[in-house]
Amino acid sequence: MRAQFVISETLIGLRRNLTMTIALIITTALSLALVGAALLMRTQVGNLKDFWYGKIEVSIFLCDPISDTAQCNKTAVSEDQRQAIQTALYANPVVQKVYYESKQDAYKHFLELFKNSPDLTKNVSPDALPPSFRVKLKDPKRFDVIQSEFQDMPGVDQVADQGKGLKPLFSTFDGLTTAALVGAAITLGASVLLIFNAIRVAAFSRRRETGIMRLVGASNLYIRLPFLLEGALAGFLGAAIASGFLALLKAYLVDSTLRKNIRFINWVGWPETAQVFPVLFLVGMLLATVSSFFAIQRHLRV
Amino acid sequence: MERVVKSYPTSTRPALDGVDVDIDKGEFVFLVGSSGSGKSTFLRLILKEETPSQGRVHVAGKDLSALSSWKVPALRRSIGCVFQDFRLLPNKTVFQNVAFALEVIGKPQGTISKVVPEVLDLVGLEGKAQRMPDELSGGEQQRVAVARAFVNRPMILIADEPTGNLDPQTSIGIMKLLDRINRTGTTVVMATHDASIVDSMRRRVVELSNGKVVRDQSRGVYGYGA
Repeated sequence: MRAQFVISETLIGLRRNLTMTIALIITTALSLALVGAALLMRTQVGNLKDFWYGKIEVSIFLCDPISDTAQCNKTAVSEDQRQAIQTALYANPVVQKVYYESKQDAYKHFLELFKNSPDLTKNVSPDALPPSFRVKLKDPKRFDVIQSEFQDMPGVDQVADQGKGLKPLFSTFDGLTTAALVGAAITLGASVLLIFNAIRVAAFSRRRETGIMRLVGASNLYIRLPFLLEGALAGFLGAAIASGFLALLKAYLVDSTLRKNIRFINWVGWPETAQVFPVLFLVGMLLATVSSFFAIQRHLRV
Repeated sequence: MERVVKSYPTSTRPALDGVDVDIDKGEFVFLVGSSGSGKSTFLRLILKEETPSQGRVHVAGKDLSALSSWKVPALRRSIGCVFQDFRLLPNKTVFQNVAFALEVIGKPQGTISKVVPEVLDLVGLEGKAQRMPDELSGGEQQRVAVARAFVNRPMILIADEPTGNLDPQTSIGIMKLLDRINRTGTTVVMATHDASIVDSMRRRVVELSNGKVVRDQSRGVYGYGA
């Protein structure tokens, strides 16, 4: 097997069909970029989920003189009631961590949270905020268990799930990721067809050469290899362009813009981005080679 | 293998109908007959481009029907082919055209640069290695094709009307070349319409008509005005 000969035949083939080659490299690059973007998006949504669900707690607000629900009747929670709630929380199997936030702690957090809005903090006194238990669940989705157990306990004002507001957000993200993956699949399909066609045209335009190759007894592999390499090279170039595009996206959109403006989110990092690249190369080259293989099957049988 | 045997007992297809021919190693055989008589099919069977619907074809001691498809390239390496339309690659030089046949079967560059000039000398094209095919006359182009067919020193040379596009004078040149190749021990099977060539060579003639062998003479002429 003479590599030099096979490579030169491959390059001749690509040059001969230059416009077609460019078109299929661009399509492949676009669809692979979409695949990569979808994969990164999925990682990002996963990161967000971990981040938010890691922060999310169930708050059990305790009765306080200011609370005006019937349950509390404007009386503060007693020490016994508080102990009873705490014991029950420690005993509960879905609870991971419990910590108590006193009125003073709540006020401190409040000041911290709204330190940029002096108008707001000015008007709130330490008395205005109730004490609470902050409960972290092993599984953030098991809120209902906590609610049913503690809502009616004496001394409990209200059980609040902080994760509730995030669910529609996450389902939107999940939907977007799925949409990106479907779009990627469709464009990938298009580029597979394009490669299939390009290689078939290439096989047809070189039927004189391949005919002679068959006659003089070149092996099937030798006849096919230039075509398969053509496909693989197109896939490779497409993947390379897509990777470059994703890297730019990561550097300019995520790092320069999003990360600076929205600091509290754990944005995808380079290691995660780099993990996507080999996937792109694998998918691109594999699809291209396989479709080339089937494209020449008909033209080049013995 | 020593003996080259091709036998076609029975083919129901009209192209070749029960043809049974033995060709020995080193023979020079003319295959004659009108168009559609099955000459080309005969040649294609030898190359295993077609498989017989019935019967067997043996080439170089191998039964082609028992030959698995991945061994077909090996078979074709032992057979050289020349066609009426030359089948040269127009964008390659004479040298590259001949070298192509060796490159695609993976011969090393050293062998190619040694063997190709030799075979170009043999066919009488020394000094024209760097010409493009369309700069050559028909006869010269056919010499390139013969060089390409013979460069790998095949056991068998198949020629499908190699003189069909050439004038009589040039044809004689090609025939002398094929004769010389035959004298090196290569079996030559040539399909032709050219009566004068067959008559002048006085070699074995197999005449096909409607897929049947109607004549097999060891020192034959083209025919009785067929």
